[in-house]
Amino acid sequence: MFSIEMIFAFGLFAIGLYGVSSGRDFLRIFFSLEMLLNAVIMMLATSAHYLGMTENIALAYMVMILATLEAAAGVLIFAVTNKLTGAVIPDEIEREELS
Amino acid sequence: MTLLLLTAVLVLAAASLTLKRSVPAITSFAMMMFLLGIYYIGLDAKLLGLFQIFVYTGGIVVLMLFGVTIIGVEFPKAKTRPWAAASALLVFAVLSVLFLRAVPKLQMAADKPVEDIHLFAASFSDMVILFALIGSSLLYGTVKMAGMLGARKSKNKRSWNV
Repeated sequence: MFSIEMIFAFGLFAIGLYGVSSGRDFLRIFFSLEMLLNAVIMMLATSAHYLGMTENIALAYMVMILATLEAAAGVLIFAVTNKLTGAVIPDEIEREELS
Repeated sequence: MTLLLLTAVLVLAAASLTLKRSVPAITSFAMMMFLLGIYYIGLDAKLLGLFQIFVYTGGIVVLMLFGVTIIGVEFPKAKTRPWAAASALLVFAVLSVLFLRAVPKLQMAADKPVEDIHLFAASFSDMVILFALIGSSLLYGTVKMAGMLGARKSKNKRSWNV
């Protein structure tokens, strides 16, 4: 059961990786980043339960706080970039527009 | 039951990336996070599960709703990279193979209880330093962005005056 649940966590990580690397709009990139971090939290929680590594739960809290901070900073950067350039897709931003 | 829950998590995760409208995508993303919280509660990590549902899911979804106000009801069309799915599949396969090879070693390590209670305390101070670095870099990024926005505003004002 431990192996199967960990493979599900790897699946979530792969979906997040696909979302980040497929070069879509900012919002879906945020979704994907959160999925990547959620997959890590899931791995930590699963290993804490099945292998008795209870310190992983403390690490999971830290990753969760980090993910929340990252989302807040990311949305701020998105809002400012959108205000400066009007772009919602990172690939469409010209370097000159930001300077 | 757990497998059903985790399958639903993966389906909702894929749906939140493939749906064309932003509000259903956010709903499926929030449902995915909620089901993960239920999964943690099922793993006896009740506080982690409750934290996931009430703090993490709530906070993130509110932030994403703010993003929806900028993006609009429908996601804009973007060029997709064909190698993205292949690279994600490759990473999944590599991680799974490496993990399945390491499972016996992990279980052997888990059978030997670690009695050193200072182990986590020692690494905790390193983590505090790491978090301070991350926090300061976030602060730097925020100040830099605010500076750029201010410069842009003054540039716009000058062009209005001309």
